[in-house]
Amino acid sequence: MRAGQLLGLGLILLGAAAAWSAQALEVPFAADPLGPRAFPTVVAAILAACGSLLVLNPAGARFEPIERRHAPPALLAIMAAYALLLAPAGFLIATAGLATGVALLFGARPLAALVTGGVTSVTLWLLFDRLLDLPLPKGLLA
Amino acid sequence: MDTLALLGGGFAVALQPHNLALALVGCVIGTAIGVLPGIGPLNAIALLLPFCLALKLPPESALILLTAVYYGSGYGGRITAILLNMPGEPSAVLTTLDGHPLAKQGRGGAALAISGIGSFVGATISVVLMTFLSVPLAKVAVAFSPADYVALIAFALSLLGAVGGGSAPKAWAAGCLGVLLALVGVDSGTGVERFTGGTLELLGGLEFTVLAIGLFAIGEILLLVESRLRAEAARISGGQRLTAGEVIRCIPTMFRSTAIGFVIGVLPGAGASVASALSYTAEKRLNEANGTFGQGDMRGVAAPETADNAAQIGNLVPMLSLGIPGSGTTAVLLGALLMYSITPGPLLFEQRPDVAWGLIASMYIGNCILLLLNLPLVGVFARLLTVPAWVLYPGVLALSFAGVYAVSNSAFDLLLAIGFGVMGWLFRKLDVPLVPIVLGFVLGRMLEDNLRRAMALSDGNVAELVASPVSVALWAMTGLALLWPSLRLRRR
Repeated sequence: MRAGQLLGLGLILLGAAAAWSAQALEVPFAADPLGPRAFPTVVAAILAACGSLLVLNPAGARFEPIERRHAPPALLAIMAAYALLLAPAGFLIATAGLATGVALLFGARPLAALVTGGVTSVTLWLLFDRLLDLPLPKGLLA
Repeated sequence: MDTLALLGGGFAVALQPHNLALALVGCVIGTAIGVLPGIGPLNAIALLLPFCLALKLPPESALILLTAVYYGSGYGGRITAILLNMPGEPSAVLTTLDGHPLAKQGRGGAALAISGIGSFVGATISVVLMTFLSVPLAKVAVAFSPADYVALIAFALSLLGAVGGGSAPKAWAAGCLGVLLALVGVDSGTGVERFTGGTLELLGGLEFTVLAIGLFAIGEILLLVESRLRAEAARISGGQRLTAGEVIRCIPTMFRSTAIGFVIGVLPGAGASVASALSYTAEKRLNEANGTFGQGDMRGVAAPETADNAAQIGNLVPMLSLGIPGSGTTAVLLGALLMYSITPGPLLFEQRPDVAWGLIASMYIGNCILLLLNLPLVGVFARLLTVPAWVLYPGVLALSFAGVYAVSNSAFDLLLAIGFGVMGWLFRKLDVPLVPIVLGFVLGRMLEDNLRRAMALSDGNVAELVASPVSVALWAMTGLALLWPSLRLRRR
């Protein structure tokens, strides 16, 4: 099974799920002749039809191999940790950690990554909190 | 005369000191991101939008800034194309063909100058055309019924498959996905919750900035981090300066390319990439006798760059006067207006002339700023390429998250943006275009609202959809756009 067919199958499933979710809607009263169900159902059907076309004719679709296999999962982990730690740890600490980690992933040496992380974090904090007056979470430094 | 008076009012808005400053900032950012590969105008506008909202910039100021970034990027993309043979923007691919040979001959500076002049000519003539065309076009659209709008939006979405160049079903599927994403949240007609999965956070619908930043900024960085790291070095070349004779020889090319670029730009679906490719091919055919194209002909640099900028401005015309964006970046600009509760389209010019005319006037000013910025300072921008990836991308990512957080203050939206980032990354790897998702997202609600309004007007009679000559013509063109990809396949 090729990547294009897998994608097509995914789109068919997504269309089916959306159509099913639209059918399950309970409409209290009919405000307009069409209601909230019809339009999403039609769009979901078109989505599934496009998916079927891809399953039948997966022309030229190929999933480019990942050159550095560890990098995307590592980046995802760093980003997820950032999302969850931003409020409790505060912007300065969380952003310094994020930028250091991402700099390492892009091939920086440890010291350079730490400097990048610190400078990025402080610069953005000065820009937002001081210059533009947009409050950022203080977290541990409060 | 009337138009000129309105334009004068626009200049009164655009010349206010803070709006002038924002236009300058936008032009600098636009040129810079045009230079940097991997960050396009779409990402930059998506990144700036939350700050415009958080800073409570008035809509006309926000639009002046964001649009300056948009057309400024058209000036920046050529720099990398000429110096490094690497297009900074997709639409600058054709510029490499003659631009890089010129740089190798030591005439990089001259190539940069002629492309800067070409960009200015293409953009400025197009702004003049836009000044006089927008209102007549908007007047036509005022007469559009809801059913006509349904046909118009369907046509715009169907064109995505015909002109994208890639797989048509993938483009349509991406458009449908965008439409479905737009429907998440409470339905305005009946108060029913759709596709929320019972979560409180999704009741108000998906935040446009979360989708755009996730798909484009985060998705792009995921794609960049997985490929092998490459060292890049920029060279700034000297050599003989551009002569007046060379500029004069390029003038007919610039006028033809402006015409091609503007017309292509106004058509929904086709963008700057198509325009620059077409104009380069046209100029090459016209000048076939000398056979200098591809070896460093100045006209080969001027043609795609002029058409690129003309098409970018042309793209704004349907966005402002019809409310239908022709490209991904104008879709983001439309999304920005919608976040300000301003609906572009026929009524914009009557209800918010300060926004519409202020924007158009600022584009005259912005293009002059860009010409002044780009002729002497081109070396400064080229030096941006020496910034290493490990300094640039951590900053872009931190800025993305700060932007998402500035709008909503919620960790949920950060996670949602990461989710869209993964989607954008996988879709890029699977050759699924992302622009239709954004177009579908901004047009989705509009499509459904107009469809339901049309049905309500006719008491549910489907024939209403093809009741006017306008809608019949638009549906016929939609059918053609849907069949076009399979016709194109058969001919090969």
